[in-house]
Amino acid sequence: MIPVLSREFRGILRSPRALAALLATAVAFSLLVLARWPAGGIVDLSGAGSRGAFLVFAAALLGGVLLLVPAFPASSIVRERNQGTLLLLFNSPISAVGLYAGKFLGVLAFAGLVLCTTLPAAAAVYAMGGVDPWQQIALLYAVLVVMAILSIAIGLLVSTRATSPDAAVRVTYGLVFAVAFLTLAPHALTRGTTGLYATIAEWLRRLSPLPVVMHLVGQGGAVGGGLLEKDAGVWQFIVGGLGLAAVLAVATILQLDHRLFDRSRDAGTITDDQSLWVRIVRRLVFLVDPQRRKAGIPMFFNPIMVKEFRTRRFGRFHWLLRLAAVCALVSLLITLAATNGTMDWGVETIGGLLVILQIGLVVLLTPSLAAGLIASERERGGWSLLQSTTLSGWRIASGKLASVAWTMLLVLAATLPGYLVMTTIKPTMWNQVMLALVSVLLAVAMTLALSAAIGAFHSRTAAATVTVYVVLMILYLGPLVIWAFRGDPFGEQVVRGALSITPLGAALSVIGMPGFTQYELIPIAWRIAGTICVASLIVYALQVWRLLRPE
Amino acid sequence: MNAPADPVLDIRNLTKKFGEFTALDNLTLSLRRGQILGFIGPNGAGKTTTIKILVGAMRPTSGAATIAGADCVRDARRIKRLVGYMPDSFGAYDNMRVREYLDFFGAAFGIPRGARAKRIDEVLETTGSGWMQDRYVEALSHGMRQRIGVARTLLHDPEMLILDEPANGLDPQARIEMRDLLLKLAGIGKTLIVTSHILPELSRICDVVAIITQGKLRAFGTLDQIMRDLRQKRTFEVQLCGPAEVETAAAAVREALEPGEREGVKAHATESLVRFDTARSDSELAAILAALVGRRIDVSQFREIPKDLEDAFLSVTRREAPAA
Repeated sequence: MIPVLSREFRGILRSPRALAALLATAVAFSLLVLARWPAGGIVDLSGAGSRGAFLVFAAALLGGVLLLVPAFPASSIVRERNQGTLLLLFNSPISAVGLYAGKFLGVLAFAGLVLCTTLPAAAAVYAMGGVDPWQQIALLYAVLVVMAILSIAIGLLVSTRATSPDAAVRVTYGLVFAVAFLTLAPHALTRGTTGLYATIAEWLRRLSPLPVVMHLVGQGGAVGGGLLEKDAGVWQFIVGGLGLAAVLAVATILQLDHRLFDRSRDAGTITDDQSLWVRIVRRLVFLVDPQRRKAGIPMFFNPIMVKEFRTRRFGRFHWLLRLAAVCALVSLLITLAATNGTMDWGVETIGGLLVILQIGLVVLLTPSLAAGLIASERERGGWSLLQSTTLSGWRIASGKLASVAWTMLLVLAATLPGYLVMTTIKPTMWNQVMLALVSVLLAVAMTLALSAAIGAFHSRTAAATVTVYVVLMILYLGPLVIWAFRGDPFGEQVVRGALSITPLGAALSVIGMPGFTQYELIPIAWRIAGTICVASLIVYALQVWRLLRPE
Repeated sequence: MNAPADPVLDIRNLTKKFGEFTALDNLTLSLRRGQILGFIGPNGAGKTTTIKILVGAMRPTSGAATIAGADCVRDARRIKRLVGYMPDSFGAYDNMRVREYLDFFGAAFGIPRGARAKRIDEVLETTGSGWMQDRYVEALSHGMRQRIGVARTLLHDPEMLILDEPANGLDPQARIEMRDLLLKLAGIGKTLIVTSHILPELSRICDVVAIITQGKLRAFGTLDQIMRDLRQKRTFEVQLCGPAEVETAAAAVREALEPGEREGVKAHATESLVRFDTARSDSELAAILAALVGRRIDVSQFREIPKDLEDAFLSVTRREAPAA
């Protein structure tokens, strides 16, 4: 175990992103304390300033854990397997438990190191007064360590099952965000009800660190209109999180053996060569049979765009149809649950939830598709092949962007039935819905352009995906955190400014989501999104042109 | 259309510098249509730099290179149509079947859909890969990938194929099949540049060989020409009827040679032979044989050991080693 731990920990420390993470954390938290430190010799006896600082400190720390930790375990095992070193470890006396423990503790040690860099800031917050060192600060760190442990356990399990590091990173981030945010959704929909569903929803909510952290900073009811109410269950989260991590660890260890390599090559079965009976059955079962021999790429289609669709597992048409169907179903279920619930949600809240669902899909799916557009080609040797073809830089760049844009538009189109129900209930909202949809479309354009531009500067897909996720999470969640603490410590102007950065705030505002109605964010949010979008597209195009140029 | 005698590839004084480091130094060579050039050199010798300049992925610091009259720098788009390039990395795409993979590259070269399907069938037939058209590219073995890599380079029917290490990592059977494939391509009029570290393979298929070390062309020509140029000493073997006279024969050979060559005479009693290196002429060698026979030594064979590409390569690299 020790050699694996040592190598894992050192390997992480040697990576530039680890250094960047450590430096960024240390600098950010130092600045935070500096910003909130009493100035002019005036001491805040009420402790309000200190609590405000603690609140921002805790939110930033939770964000840091959610954004930084999953990337490392996610690529840990799959990269070793692809490089062939996992087989060497299997042939060494190190047991599966030792191997897992080494990797787990290696990443945990790094997470601990990141948390340690924030201790001086925590001490400064304590020194400002008004914050309990045990009931608040120590418990906050305990919660964050549990979340880190859970993230690592999820990452290692995904890494064992994945076939490429970038896929592992995508799935891990998706699952970690699902644990942190999605687990709150069923509770939101069943609030005020009793019975089995409500109980399950309540237990699911206990897995999210958000209510716990908000409770610890004394803002239990601040976010989500009571969603994160005061009965947060700190110990339930700690026990539940550790229990889930233990289950995931056992599941991972059970898979760490020769079976990881005991897989035959795909024989490439094709429906066209099957018997007539099989062909008939598959024709009935599949709307679009993934195993049918494809026709050639039509001349008027951009070959890069078609290639991008075909090389994505979820880009194949049968998967896109499934994805669209799930989105449509979720959208309708949200509307149904909201309209049939015991509480009067109001059409505006349903609209707000739909906007959050759409933007959530945009932020989760777009980086996974767009961050690796160029990086994956460079990583796998495809770029030099593209260079040797007669395709122009414009066709390569536009084909890649179009492949993501069409996918996202299809997914978003599938969420539209929810709006249809809304406008049927309240036809006067038609204009608001239109403005919200324009905001969502701008969010797609901005996220896509930004992801593509950032990803184009990387030569590894996993690194590109992580960077893009971190940037987008800061961009989209940062303003929401600031909005959540509106009034104290953030003033009206700060909240308005923060919400203007992305079209999310504008969409929520225009749809009339409670808590957002007082902000006039259109057209400023659209202008900012448009500017970021255009600037990102220019940067992306320049980078593609630079990479295609002869050295 | 170039006449067969015209050079398809013409490289003149090609130089590439990265700051102070000279990766390619005044390279000049030419190649005729249908010829196979074996481009060999140790790692970091400048082979890939040359190839990258030829395919338009790198600009030379000075000098020029033309392929079928098209300048590799100025006519980059035409060069892409004239050259089929197979880099040492395959460039696999996930979830793509072989036929889809080739279809994509065919479309990338602007081949119309109907003609493309026909062309894919042709290149699969040429490379003997038709049976794997429905396989997923990422599930192919290394040997299969190399075949598909060659098929990909043939799609747009280029005049010249540049293949970087096509036999690398192949098993003996696959290597033989690759060799036959390359000869077949040369047979249908393609001009090939092939780099490889497996020199015996290259020597079997190449019409001309270029040996490059430290960015400089050290030898260029047919294998025979290179051997003649490099040859300072030839190796001979005297096969005796039995081991008893091996030492006597070795002494006789030493006497006949110059003092500087005497240390190189080796007597192998177990094989009943004497081996020596010499720069002497054929008539002088006849005198040595006569001396052996005159001493009543039973000589069953007196033969020159043929040198191969590996010897030539080693000879060049060792000669240049002190300079490095």
